[in-house]
Amino acid sequence: MKGKSFLEKIRSSLGKINTWRFFILFSAFVVIIGNPFVNYKWDINFIQGWFQSFGIGNLWIVSPLEGLETILTAKFLYTATIVGMVVPVLLAFLLGRVFCSWLCPIEFLSNLTDRVLGFLSKKLRYRKDLITLPRRIIWFVLITELLITLIIGYPMFVWWSPPGLVGREAMFYAFYKVITIEIVIVVAVLFFNLLTRRFFCRYFCPLGATLALIGKKRQLVIKYDKDKCINCKACDTKCPMGIKPSIGESQSVYCWNCAECVDTCPTKALSFTWNDDGIIKLKVHNSLTSMKNTDKLITTK
Amino acid sequence: MRKFTRREAIKVTLGSFLAGIFSSCDLSDLKNPKTMIKTPIKTNILRPPGAVPEEEFAKKCIRCGRCGEVCPYHCIKYFDVKSGGVFSGTPYINVMEVPCYLCMKCVYVCPTGALVPCDKDEVRMGVAVINREACVSWQQEKTGLMCKTCFNVCPFAGIAIKIDHDFRPYIVEEYCTGCGICAYSCIADQYPENNGKKAITIEPVKWKKIKKVKLEDIKKS
Repeated sequence: MKGKSFLEKIRSSLGKINTWRFFILFSAFVVIIGNPFVNYKWDINFIQGWFQSFGIGNLWIVSPLEGLETILTAKFLYTATIVGMVVPVLLAFLLGRVFCSWLCPIEFLSNLTDRVLGFLSKKLRYRKDLITLPRRIIWFVLITELLITLIIGYPMFVWWSPPGLVGREAMFYAFYKVITIEIVIVVAVLFFNLLTRRFFCRYFCPLGATLALIGKKRQLVIKYDKDKCINCKACDTKCPMGIKPSIGESQSVYCWNCAECVDTCPTKALSFTWNDDGIIKLKVHNSLTSMKNTDKLITTK
Repeated sequence: MRKFTRREAIKVTLGSFLAGIFSSCDLSDLKNPKTMIKTPIKTNILRPPGAVPEEEFAKKCIRCGRCGEVCPYHCIKYFDVKSGGVFSGTPYINVMEVPCYLCMKCVYVCPTGALVPCDKDEVRMGVAVINREACVSWQQEKTGLMCKTCFNVCPFAGIAIKIDHDFRPYIVEEYCTGCGICAYSCIADQYPENNGKKAITIEPVKWKKIKKVKLEDIKKS
């Protein structure tokens, strides 16, 4: 610890992707929390709303699940909704569930609580997962969510989505100086983190399920290099989603591209890559490399 | 001494937290299950301007709160679970606190078409109703007062509120937007016999009436 100077520490942390992820999470959180206060005090109104629908000037962003729910219940296609859904859907389509891990205020708060718990004891921070459920639950949650919405006739997720509630409570506090009971949901989600890391995000977030479904064939993936791996399993203990990159699960639907495993890997066997085999092909393979790839496939099989 | 495991710690903290929440807040509104799905829109509690009919509103609104953040007078407020049930997070205007001044900013930021863009004079949030027994002008013989406050403050004075030959105000319902400025500034509650009751209240318009207007708007745009 004492061998490294302060500057060196900063330099080494700047090289890590996770420092940048935390920085982006923090700035997104500050925008979401601080914006209503700014709007209230100076009447700027350049940025309105929170992660259910966001307006930056004339750029409109509507969360895909909420937009889908209103379209399903109102049975009416409104152009502004669909235009607003373009940006997040494209983001999920190219980069996967990147909203959850790089922007979501709940992820920021649970990251923060993880750090606080890490101060108390290191075991809590890098604990083995206490409760593990089959990860497939998230699809059933999405289906039930939409079914309940259709049965009741009113969109459900719009008023209890935890990332939306964070912004809403901030706005309520800035404008009306009250905090409503719905904050219980946010606190409960953070409490569930004690059962497993990101318990809610992993199994019960319908929005995450939607984004995962859209980003099933995403372009940005974490590639696992078998030759460099030394089987230390450091990535398995660090992954907040309970995925095991060491057995090649890093490209599955459930990965949310948070780069925790990329940073921990001591031999750099895991890395972000722009997937050429996806839908969009940026590079054209020449015949030689494709031949090599097929050879590899055959030999591994 | 018995060991205090983590599982117990979680149970105790969660339980005490939930118990604290539920014991501290007033849940009298939740006792009646009808309030959870019945619309909380009633006299003087209205939807923002340009709103689609009430049956459609909660289905279209995604509770993003952009209308309230844009509103320069902070007159748009939001229901929470206690008072709104499934309508929680939807906007409303309580005209007795702050009426709508028809700046028409909120209408242009709604992303889902719960608020449809329209002109000032096309807004039908509700209809003003004059209680002639409380109005000081209608009780001229008793009070001896001639008040024209509602006529003076109305943004469509002479069109929506008119004054008859005895200086008594009356509402032309076709042109009333229901902004509530008249109800907010009515002075009848100062008159001792009224016991703090206002002479004008805003009733939410019959939904079908609005529907006709709104459908035409949608077709236009």
